[in-house]
Amino acid sequence: MNENEKLSPFHIAVLVFMSQMGIVVFTLPNSLAVYFGTNGWLFLLICFVVSTINIYFISLVFRLGKGRSVFEILERSIPKAVLYPVYIGLASVWILFGSMIGKKYVLLFQMMAFPTTNPMVIKLAIDILVYLLLIKGIYNISKAATFFFWITLWMYPLMFMFLPHFHWIRLTPFIFKEGHDMVKGGVDIYASFLGYELFILLFPYMDQKKKPMLAIYSGNAFVTFIYIWYSLTCFGLFSLKQLKKLLFPLLDLQALLRFPFVERLENLLFGFYLFLVLITVVMYLLAAQEAVRRITPIAKSHFFVFITIAVGYGISYIPKSIDQVNDWIMKLGYTVTGIGFGIPIIAILVLLIQGKGGQSHV
Amino acid sequence: MSRLLAAIIMMCMLTGCGTEQRILEDLGMIQTASYDLEENNKLRVTINMPVSATDSTIKKMLLTAVTDSSKEARLLFSNQTELTVVSGQVRNTLFGLDLAKAGIHRHVDTLLRDTSMSLGVKVTIINGKAGELLSKNYKQHSETGQYINRMLEKRGSGNGIMPSSLYQFTRDYHDDGIDPIAPIVKDTGEDAEMDGIALFQDDRYMMKIPAKKALIFTLFKRNLKQGEIIIHLENKKNPKDIVMLSNIMSKRKVKVHHLANNRFKVDISASIRGSVLEYTGNKDLVKKEQRHKIEEEISQYISSQGEQMIKDMQKNKVDSLGIGQYVRNSLSYAEWKSLNWRNVYPQVEVNCHAKVLIKNYGKYS
Repeated sequence: MNENEKLSPFHIAVLVFMSQMGIVVFTLPNSLAVYFGTNGWLFLLICFVVSTINIYFISLVFRLGKGRSVFEILERSIPKAVLYPVYIGLASVWILFGSMIGKKYVLLFQMMAFPTTNPMVIKLAIDILVYLLLIKGIYNISKAATFFFWITLWMYPLMFMFLPHFHWIRLTPFIFKEGHDMVKGGVDIYASFLGYELFILLFPYMDQKKKPMLAIYSGNAFVTFIYIWYSLTCFGLFSLKQLKKLLFPLLDLQALLRFPFVERLENLLFGFYLFLVLITVVMYLLAAQEAVRRITPIAKSHFFVFITIAVGYGISYIPKSIDQVNDWIMKLGYTVTGIGFGIPIIAILVLLIQGKGGQSHV
Repeated sequence: MSRLLAAIIMMCMLTGCGTEQRILEDLGMIQTASYDLEENNKLRVTINMPVSATDSTIKKMLLTAVTDSSKEARLLFSNQTELTVVSGQVRNTLFGLDLAKAGIHRHVDTLLRDTSMSLGVKVTIINGKAGELLSKNYKQHSETGQYINRMLEKRGSGNGIMPSSLYQFTRDYHDDGIDPIAPIVKDTGEDAEMDGIALFQDDRYMMKIPAKKALIFTLFKRNLKQGEIIIHLENKKNPKDIVMLSNIMSKRKVKVHHLANNRFKVDISASIRGSVLEYTGNKDLVKKEQRHKIEEEISQYISSQGEQMIKDMQKNKVDSLGIGQYVRNSLSYAEWKSLNWRNVYPQVEVNCHAKVLIKNYGKYS
C-alpha cells in the first residue's frame, strides 16, 4: 500500500457516514418522542445545523492550517508537557466510547437472539474484527467502510414498505409538546451525530486539492437524511405515546416486514447493523491510536492495537445491563461532544495567534 | 482484506454453535394463544402448537392453564409438555368477550415486552369463550388456530373486516383521538364465522358493528381498495329491491367545522366507485338518468346507515373512526388539551356524505 495515497472525497464521505451511523438509530425515534414529544423528529434538523457549524470550524482549521495535522498545529504553540496528558485523556475517552458502543450492540443482539449466551463472548468476536481492521490502517479501513456501505445500503429503502400505513395525521400539528428535559435530551440525541469530529485528526490523509471538507459535509448530510427518514416514518406509523413506549422502534418496524417468502427478518437485519457499528468502533479506536502516536511511535505497532482493544474489552466488563451501558454512553457522549467542539476552536485560536506572529515553541 | 472477510463469514457461521441449541422437533411453537376471564379475576390461557416431530401421530398440542398472568401460564405449560414452549411463531391472539369487556391492555402489554413477539401478531375478539373455540375441531376445516388465522388474513372477501394487529391496537389505544378496533369471530357450530368489528373504548370492548354493516363502517373509516356490499334499497313500491355493489374502491375525507361554545360539526365524505353485479329493481341500468337515480339511492342508504352507526358510537363514547384526530389537528395544543374529547365527542354533529359512482354494470344489460 502506498503510504502517500490520499483518501478520495467519496471514501471520506462514506467513512464519515459510517462513523456516525450506528446502534443509536434503533433508539433514536424513541428518544425523540420521549424528550421532544410531538414532531420530535424536527430536532434532527437542529442537530444538523449544529453539526454543520462544527464541521465549518473543522474546515477553518484545515484552511488556516493549510492541511497540516492538527497535532502539529497545537504542538507548535503549546508545550508538549501540557499536550501529552491531554492526548492520553483524549485517547482514553475515545477508547471507552468505542468499547461502550460495541458493548451496547452486543447487549441488544443478546436480548434478541441469544438470551443466555455470555455477551462478552459475542463482544470478543466483534473485537477480533475490530483488531483485524485496525491493524490495516486508515486506507484499508476506508475501503472496508465503502464495501460495508454498499452491502448495507439496501436496508434504507425497506422503509418504503411502510408507506401505506403512514399517515400525516398522526404527526399532529403540534411542535415539541409533551416532551421533557429537552436540554439533556438534546445533548443526548446530538451524540448520535458524533463521528465527524474525528476527521480533524485525518488531515494528513486528505488531498487538499479535492475538497475533502465538502465530503465531510456530505457524509453528515446523508446521515441526517437517513435519521430523518427513519424517525419521520416512525412518527407517522406509531402514535406518540406508543412511540414513547417502544424502546427500540426500529426493531419493531423490522419485525413487521413481511415478504411472501420470509417474515420476521429483524434478526437478520440486525446482523447487518454490525457493519455500521464496526466502523464506528474502529474509527474511535483509530482516533485514540493517532493521539497516542504523537507521544510514542509504538502506537503504530500491532501490539499497541492489541493492548488498546484488550483494555477496552476489559472495561466493557463493568457495565452489565443495557441501562448501565446507556448511562456510560450518555456521559461519554457529553465529553466527546465537548471534544468535538473544543479541538477545532482551540486549534483556530492557536492558528490565529500563530498567524499574528506569536511565539512558537519549536 | 481476505482475512477480514474470512473472519466475518466465520462469525456469521458461529452463531450456529450457540450454547442453546434449538432443535425444531423439540420446540413447542405457540401458534395461537387465547385468553379468557375466569372467576376471581383469574386468566384462562389456552395455546395451540403444531407438532413437527415426524414420529408423532399428533398434529397439534393444546394446553390450558388458569393463572394470574399470561407469562406465568407459559411456565406452567412447560411443566405440562416435553417440548420447550416458545412464542416466536405466534400468529394470532384470541380474547374472550368477558375479558375484552374488562380490558385487554394489561395482557397486550405483556405480549409486547416479549422480544420474540412481533408487533404483527393479530388481536382477535371471540364472541364467547376464546379457549372453547380454540379447543374445538371443525370437521370441514383445517386445524382451528390456522383456520381462524387464514380466515382473517384472506384478502378479497371484501367484507370490510380487516385483521387487527398488536401494532394497530396499541397505536390507536395510545392515540388520544381514536379508539382501537378488532375483528370479532364467533362459533356457529359447524364453522367459525366473522361476526363483525369490535369497538373499544380505550382497551374495553363496548359495542359491535355487525358483519353485514362492517363495510359501511370501513367506508367512513379509511380509504378502501376492495369491497363488496349488498344494499336493500328503501323503495316504497318494492321494498325487496336489492343491489350488489362489487369491486368497491373508495376515498374518505374528513372536514371539521368549529361552532360556537366549543362545539364541532364534522363532515365525513366517502367517494365510492364500484360495479353493479346484481340488481333486482325495475330501473334500467343502461339509461344514464335511471342509473344516476340508483347511484343516489345507494348513496343515501350508505350515508344514513353511516350516520346511524356513528350515533350508536357516540352513545357508547367510542371514537373508532378517529374523528378526534381531525378535531385535534384543527385546534391549537392548548385548546385540545383543555378539551375533554371523551365528553365532547357525543355532542359532535357528524354528517356522512357518500357519493357513489357505478363504474360498470357487468357484461349483460
